[in-house]
Amino acid sequence: MKTALKAVLVAAAMIGALGAAQAQDATFAVTAREVGAPSYNPITATKLNSANSLIYDRLLLQDADQSFHGQLATRWEQSPDGMVWTFKLRPGVKFHDGEAFNARTIAWWIPKFAGTENKHTTAQIDRVEVVDDLTVKFHMKSPDPNLLFNLASSFMGVPSPKAYDALGDKFGVTASVGTGPYKVQSFTVGQETVLTRNDDYAWGSDLSKNKGPAKFKKITVREIAEDSTAFLELQTGGVDLLYTVPVDFLPRLKTAKDVKVMTIPGTEIVYMPINVTVEPFTDVRLRAAAAYAIDQTAIWKTLYGGVGKPADGFLISSLEESKIDPKFAISYNPERAKKLLDEAGWVPGADGLRVKDGKKLQVKLWTSNGTEFKRIVEVVQAQLKAVGIGADITIFDASTINAQYKKKTEHQLAVRSYSWTNADILDWFFGAARVGYPNVSMLDDPKAEALNEAAMKKSRTWAERVANFKAYHEYILSQYALAPIYEPVNLFAYSTKRMTLPETIRGTRLTSQSILDAEPAK
Amino acid sequence: MSRVHPLLRAAATPLGGPAAVYLVALIAAALLAPWIAPYPYDAQNLAEAALPPSTAHWLGTDEFGRDLFSRILYGARISLGVAVSSMMASVAIGLVVGAVAGYAGGWLDRGLMAGVDLTWSFPEILIALVMIAILGPGLGSTAVAITIGYLAQFARLSRAQIAALKGELYVEATVALGASHAHVLFAHLVPNALTPVLVAGMLAAGDAIVLEATLGYFGLGAQPPLPSWGAMMSSGVAQMFIAPWVIVFPGVAIALTVVAINLYGDALIDALQIRNRLRER
Amino acid sequence: MLLYGLKRVLTLAPVFLAMSAVVFLIVHLVPGDPIDHMLQIGASPERRAELVARYGLDRPLPLQYLTWLVRVVSGDLGEAIILKRPVAQLIAANLPYSVALGGLALLFSTVVGATLGALAAYFADTAFDRAAMATILFGSTVPNFWLGLLMILIFAVQLGWFPVSGARSWDAVVLPVLTIGLGGVALIARVTRAALIDAWRQDFVTLLHAKGLSRRAIFARHLLRHALAPVVTILGLKIGWVLGGAVTIEYVFARPGLGSLLITSLAQRDYPVVQGCLLMLGVGVLIGTLLGDLAQAALDPRLRERLA
Repeated sequence: MKTALKAVLVAAAMIGALGAAQAQDATFAVTAREVGAPSYNPITATKLNSANSLIYDRLLLQDADQSFHGQLATRWEQSPDGMVWTFKLRPGVKFHDGEAFNARTIAWWIPKFAGTENKHTTAQIDRVEVVDDLTVKFHMKSPDPNLLFNLASSFMGVPSPKAYDALGDKFGVTASVGTGPYKVQSFTVGQETVLTRNDDYAWGSDLSKNKGPAKFKKITVREIAEDSTAFLELQTGGVDLLYTVPVDFLPRLKTAKDVKVMTIPGTEIVYMPINVTVEPFTDVRLRAAAAYAIDQTAIWKTLYGGVGKPADGFLISSLEESKIDPKFAISYNPERAKKLLDEAGWVPGADGLRVKDGKKLQVKLWTSNGTEFKRIVEVVQAQLKAVGIGADITIFDASTINAQYKKKTEHQLAVRSYSWTNADILDWFFGAARVGYPNVSMLDDPKAEALNEAAMKKSRTWAERVANFKAYHEYILSQYALAPIYEPVNLFAYSTKRMTLPETIRGTRLTSQSILDAEPAK
Repeated sequence: MSRVHPLLRAAATPLGGPAAVYLVALIAAALLAPWIAPYPYDAQNLAEAALPPSTAHWLGTDEFGRDLFSRILYGARISLGVAVSSMMASVAIGLVVGAVAGYAGGWLDRGLMAGVDLTWSFPEILIALVMIAILGPGLGSTAVAITIGYLAQFARLSRAQIAALKGELYVEATVALGASHAHVLFAHLVPNALTPVLVAGMLAAGDAIVLEATLGYFGLGAQPPLPSWGAMMSSGVAQMFIAPWVIVFPGVAIALTVVAINLYGDALIDALQIRNRLRER
Repeated sequence: MLLYGLKRVLTLAPVFLAMSAVVFLIVHLVPGDPIDHMLQIGASPERRAELVARYGLDRPLPLQYLTWLVRVVSGDLGEAIILKRPVAQLIAANLPYSVALGGLALLFSTVVGATLGALAAYFADTAFDRAAMATILFGSTVPNFWLGLLMILIFAVQLGWFPVSGARSWDAVVLPVLTIGLGGVALIARVTRAALIDAWRQDFVTLLHAKGLSRRAIFARHLLRHALAPVVTILGLKIGWVLGGAVTIEYVFARPGLGSLLITSLAQRDYPVVQGCLLMLGVGVLIGTLLGDLAQAALDPRLRERLA
């Protein structure tokens, strides 16, 4: 009798412990576009998923109000002429392999970007000077008011120099060593990454309430490509947090009892670039007509259920540089579109499509595979047809479309998006130096280049930079090198049965600062 | 009993009858779609998106407000069109290749069959995905991909038929009388092998429709706004909870069509009494 | 029998060679290359040239083919360009999942299909026969991504009996197996039924009848063996299915497997992986067909001559 009782008690204790251990584990899921990242190497990777911010820390973090907060750096200042930046580093930080983080780490880190696909992030830094263990100075080639933004990007995690040099090409594949709140236990590409808590973590930024070790002992980040499968996993409790919520399932999730949907201000713009070097879009009136044919409000209401907002410019609305003179904003105006087409000599034909000199107005409309793009592109096709422009849709998989763009002469219209919280994205997508790809509008205009130069290189202060970029932004819009469509918000959802997160999310994306404050539900 | 044409005899069976009726109705609907569809298949009306079936829209509307019934009618043209054209091409190529292999024998036979077997090794979906990667997405590539994927079984079937008939007395006699091998092969042997291969092709058309639907799910088949049944199901997945009819009706259409093809095909095989000739070895 | 087997094995070599050439050619016919997918947007031509040279993609195609072939024959499948892992390791990691899924699905199709087919043949031309053959069709006539989603909705979401997706527990394989298995039932059932009905018409059956055996006894003890041959042929053919045909299901159920490895690598043009997977698939089918033929020949001596 006694032994039986003991057995029952032991069993109960074990089940209790198991339950507690399980409560300390969480399963997250990344979907669609984030699936399939081949490695966690922050220096060379061109594709990183959301889990990478849990493995590596950055020097700074940026909050939703554009302010900067220190993570691995504590203080920073810029010399009056902008040519020297001084950073004070946080003491007591260690990598997952026990190596210390200090000024020498940064001196090793910056030059590593040379020759990689990400070298533009540190291109303006001429050399790094180690002043003492916890102080570094960046000597610049020219003033870079954008340096803080680049350093705060979620792609700028700092890896362990020892592990990085030892593993070479295999860093981020067989092992990923950083200073972050989680260590990588296993990484199965395309399937899942298992993270275990870094118990020595004590350097959370002031964006987190919890500065010390995270509350969840183990996080499994699963990769689920099919949106509905991911949604159903959240609904049945197979997954505790979805990094992105497919918009179609939003109404269901909003009414679900144990699920909380949270919004982070958007960092993305969906737009239609127009190739200015191919007929008929060499004529600015045709480009304007195509742009005015798009009914952003209808798309916003029907396809997105009123979530996010219609876009009327190329920059996200939280940026100062997006607040342009209203006369440059591009919004639905079918009458103006039709008038421009008439002016340009394209008359309505029998089947509704416009004709000129015996040629039908039939153009190519490309996009890459992805539920949302596929839907937008069909609506855009119908809206273009309504003003008399016929569009042939081709849906490519994300990899093929890049190769297609590089052929330089074929493409005309496309539907795509970018995610970036800085006005220098204008240079990225419209600068003459990048004609072909990523400048698929193929814009190479002397006036645009002058404005670009002023904004990118000749701005000495932030205020000057904002003014110069606004002018550049307005000019690009006046040339109708693109048609704005939509500005999404970042949505993520989690199960309130399993975890709690802070009421407001700090930062521009769901990264480590919020996960540090995540707790198992009581 | 033998006076009635096999096609009609097959339609007289309990299972083959309804199947035949459905197929005839479907073909008629596909041909007459431009005239009988109540709406154009690409007429969007965002204000009327995702509506359930009603008197205005018999099968409801999709996420862009397009009439589902009209789209399914036009979709029949695409699904049937792709299936029939790729099957015809596949049967034709397979028939000829298999006939030549079966008649010639020896190393030509082995070589051709080894080549054919290479396509047989890989599941049709993989061949289709690779073909589309090479040719780009769209209906044309889909048709080519399906043609190549099903080639092998027709070649093998044809080869088996020809090889069996090769030993017949009348063949020797014809050759002895001075006819060329080509003449014997194509004028005498192939027509006899035609029937089983054609029927096999008909049955495979059902699989082709399903394959086209799967390619549409990955966005690789018919490009928008073309209403291929598979593409409709693919966009319907996201609407699953708000507007289930968007995914259900095309799915039912595919299922009914393929079932009908199979049932009628089976009845036809019985009517033609060629069941044992449909073995590939 | 041994001679026949040996002859068949010898023909494998030239077929393997041809297969490797075709696989290599097809993969390189696809537009684009892995370097496109490694480079950040806007990378310089010099950087591109550097990477192309590093992976030997600028050498003449025949030379690239021969280098790869020689390595493959000596057992080295090479290293993935984008995934940066040995191809053999990638395949080894995914193979068990494909084999589990495909193998169990094949088993399910065979057991259920053969049983239904045998019953339908036993009750040939009755209402049961017709009803059975008509119902089994539904599994194979709906696109399997739809069937998979339906399974998830009913058995995982509504009833909660199984996990929605993934491969993290034993029961996660049930719904994918059912989805694929139901598709194969129709084919196996039809083949079994046809073979049994044919066998029933043979002369030796009349003899057994004359000897006084009941219909049921004849069926159970003598005829079922005759259904084996065509079913075995089908199974041999479907090996390719086991290894790579579950692409759609792996996608819907977020499972690892050779199919999804192949598709991801194809999308990224990771040549070594695509070549390795396709070749392995082809070899798998070759061996499967060979085993199927050998099994058939073992069952039916008449076939050895006909097949040789």
